[in-house]
Amino acid sequence: MDPQQLPPGHSIKRWLLTTNHKDVGILYLVTSLYFLVLGGILALVFRLQLADPGLNILSPPAFNQAVTIHGLVMVLFVVSPLAFALANYVVPLQIGARDLAFPRLNALSYWLYLFGGLLVMISFFQDRTLDVGWTLYQPLSSAFSPYVGVNTGGLGLALLTASVTVSTVNFVVTIFRSRAKGLRLTALPMFTLGVLLTVLMMLYAFPALLAGIILLSSDRILGTVYFTSPEGGAILWDHIFWFFGHPEVYIVLFPALGVFGDVLVTFSRRPLFARRIIIAAMVVVAALSFLVWGHHMFLTGMHPDVRRAFTVTTIAISLPFDAIILSFIYTLAKARIELKTPMLFVLGSIAIFIIGGITGVFLGSIALDYVLRGTYFVVAHFHYTMAGGALVGLIAGVYYWYPKMTGRMFSEKLGRLQFILTMIGFNMLYFPLFLSWEMPRRVPIYVESLMPLQQVATIGGFIFGVSFLVMFWNLLYSLRYGEPAGNNPWGAHTLEWMTESPPPPHNFDGTPTFADGRLSFIAANGAAHGEPETHLSPWPFMLSLASFTALLGLTTHIMVSIVGVGLLAFSVLGFAGERFISREDPLGERWPFDRVDRMKLAWWTFISSEVVLFGVVLSAYVYVRTASATWPAPGTLLDIGHGAMNTFILLTSSLTVVLALASARTGNRTGTVGFLAATLALGALFLFNKYGEWSELFSHGITFSSSLPASTFFLTTGIHGAHVFAGLLALGYLLARALKGAYLGKGHETLEYFGYYWHFVDIVWVFIFPLFYLV
Amino acid sequence: MVATTVEIFMSLWSIFSTLGVLVGVVVMSYMIYLIVKNRARPGGPEPEDAPKPGELPREQKGAKKLLISVVLSASIVLTLISLTFIALDSLDTPPADAMEVKVVAFQWGWRFIYPNGYESVGELRIPRGTPVKLYVTSQDVFHNMGIIGLRLKVDAIPGKTNIAWTRVYETGVYDIRCFELCGDGHGVMIGKLVVMDPEEFNSWYSSLQVS
Repeated sequence: MDPQQLPPGHSIKRWLLTTNHKDVGILYLVTSLYFLVLGGILALVFRLQLADPGLNILSPPAFNQAVTIHGLVMVLFVVSPLAFALANYVVPLQIGARDLAFPRLNALSYWLYLFGGLLVMISFFQDRTLDVGWTLYQPLSSAFSPYVGVNTGGLGLALLTASVTVSTVNFVVTIFRSRAKGLRLTALPMFTLGVLLTVLMMLYAFPALLAGIILLSSDRILGTVYFTSPEGGAILWDHIFWFFGHPEVYIVLFPALGVFGDVLVTFSRRPLFARRIIIAAMVVVAALSFLVWGHHMFLTGMHPDVRRAFTVTTIAISLPFDAIILSFIYTLAKARIELKTPMLFVLGSIAIFIIGGITGVFLGSIALDYVLRGTYFVVAHFHYTMAGGALVGLIAGVYYWYPKMTGRMFSEKLGRLQFILTMIGFNMLYFPLFLSWEMPRRVPIYVESLMPLQQVATIGGFIFGVSFLVMFWNLLYSLRYGEPAGNNPWGAHTLEWMTESPPPPHNFDGTPTFADGRLSFIAANGAAHGEPETHLSPWPFMLSLASFTALLGLTTHIMVSIVGVGLLAFSVLGFAGERFISREDPLGERWPFDRVDRMKLAWWTFISSEVVLFGVVLSAYVYVRTASATWPAPGTLLDIGHGAMNTFILLTSSLTVVLALASARTGNRTGTVGFLAATLALGALFLFNKYGEWSELFSHGITFSSSLPASTFFLTTGIHGAHVFAGLLALGYLLARALKGAYLGKGHETLEYFGYYWHFVDIVWVFIFPLFYLV
Repeated sequence: MVATTVEIFMSLWSIFSTLGVLVGVVVMSYMIYLIVKNRARPGGPEPEDAPKPGELPREQKGAKKLLISVVLSASIVLTLISLTFIALDSLDTPPADAMEVKVVAFQWGWRFIYPNGYESVGELRIPRGTPVKLYVTSQDVFHNMGIIGLRLKVDAIPGKTNIAWTRVYETGVYDIRCFELCGDGHGVMIGKLVVMDPEEFNSWYSSLQVS
């Protein structure tokens, strides 16, 4: 059928080059399950240690590394990627799209994720890996943990945030612009809706993590003093980390909520109860999730009124959750409930999540936090939500869509066996931890009276572990020997079941539409028109490999980095120069972005996440400046003349880029080339001036590590300068193509998109200039 | 009652846990009841509004039922917030006549500095019945000081001093432990709080040689 045939499934080429969303979904699935095994083994090792404080399986540093990597891997490399595995496979099918909006970027997200994970794993073998807890508290993880592996692990996380940013932009654009006609946002299947809200939260939460990691890595590698100075230090990190960290909890959970919604409808044979209220409640949670981070800092000595405000928001966020969970339960009334494996897992997961939710209210109360903070009660609580609610909920999703992905049914018997083992193992593992509510977390040594509880937990942990072995066996065995599934084995109503299992590369024969309220197919598939679409590209893999190499060199040998940067330049050019065709269907539901084409939407989405990145970096500056008793007066540390000149240069370059676009629109080649060249020259002048300013400071002995004013100046303008530099590289490419006559008339949009980026970088400078030079 | 902080905590804890268990049991029993009652039986009828393949999602109406449930939980939540605030008032206002002790956490131990300037590492002695106000900070990394059994906890942060207080009514010995991962020695960062008979305390305290 498909003009651009994918290589067969057993060929390695297929999996290295594929950009098809279903293939990428499978890659995500296998990789996340691999990391699950890794994180799980680490957990079992320290559970063994905890079974008896007298055991010396793990030395204290080894214990700290095990719990840290377990936490990081499970949260960032297992649960979210598992959700993205399902999202990759299912979302385009559920909305009737042929693929994601940017298939190559999708493959790029996967490879960046894999290589980020590899960096974290490599850090294990470099002296010591991250041993500071997954929350990376300061100044322990900056000044007091001088191990190379910590740097490598941190860079791995940076690569992961890059992966997440790319993939959020992709999913936002896809879900907004590639829906089948008539599929309004509120009519989206619950899973797709959950993914949409997830990526919107990710879009604004992960840049905060990225900013945090940049500041931390800069402290560790360049010697800035953000976290090593008492003015910044512990509290600054807490704010940055938890501004990311609390939304992350819902980011992990929302795809599972989506699975709950879809599975409940399918196996209870009833529409969802108060569906619109569930959606509204999820939107409220997503928004509110950015306003509750302070509850992780109740005992840090925040202002009492601020604490009270965070208590209110934190406990209040339980109300929309009540509405969501109760609606799920009310759906079961007058239903015809089929207790198949996916449904069992959903019901079990909801029951577990209820316990997690209720205990979350306990932790929202500051007064109780005086006891519960830092104890096993917290450990139990978040495992009930994130392991029980999110992970077990996603396992339900894996079973639910397994027949769609493979065309085979899994063994229902083994599925039930896993369910029973999961429920027993999970509750044996985590319930005793609630009862150990006075025991500190992350300690291998504890009072003897708690030993029975901890031993029950360890036994439970192994049962929980075995339950996954049953699943792996079931999934592998059924791949070969399962009954054929047919298109719609569960009798579900959503679109992914209205095509073959597994679906063909282009998903549907014909274009699905809901234009008259019910599904029908318009005869021709959009793929059939015009030039065949592309499904293979080597560049996502190459780009990720190159980034990995460049970062690895930073903590091993600088030559490795140089090779990496060279490879990166080569791959970027390869990526940009490749002819990769993926079309949008002309028909489709696009509200509210009917008039915004997909590249424009992608740029705006990306830039809005950059706003958070710079917002956090600038807030960090304002924070340390407010906390500092003294600060150099304007004009003493920094020369206002340099700053003013650069402001003038950069604002002028905004004008030239507009003029370049205007010339391109009217087909004026000389104007286009000339104004692009002028922009390039102005940008280069800006950097040259910056270079002069920096070297002057260096010559006066003012460096990254001199003081907070110096650190914040160098790093903030450094990050901004890197953005200008990236812009110059893009400009060089645009100019080279414009010289060959590109962008005139048709195709001028490319210059427009570049313009957005360039204006944004200029606007950031408009904030930096007064904040650093004038105030 | 052992200590003021225990009193405040336990009254709040018992309300939270009673309501928590109650809500949990009610919701889960209802869920199990629905599952058992509505389990598909072979040949049983399909619900009238069962979603059909290829259909856009519909919903079961029930805003009223949900509203009642949410108002009910909202009232529970409001009660909990107000109770928290009341408890917080007493936790945030140490008595004026408290004995003031400075605590400096370090990798990996606790240093206590008494009002007379006497310093000790690892063991803090206080008199029974007298309120004690702790000024807690750290000289290196982020720690958290918790006294097991007294329901007392406070972050020890470099460059910042946080305050906690308690009043213990019985003599005894309590473990002080660190509740924030602080490096290799985190697990063994253990101190002792010794609550002494006031007279014994006074004779010990007045015999101290302060340099």
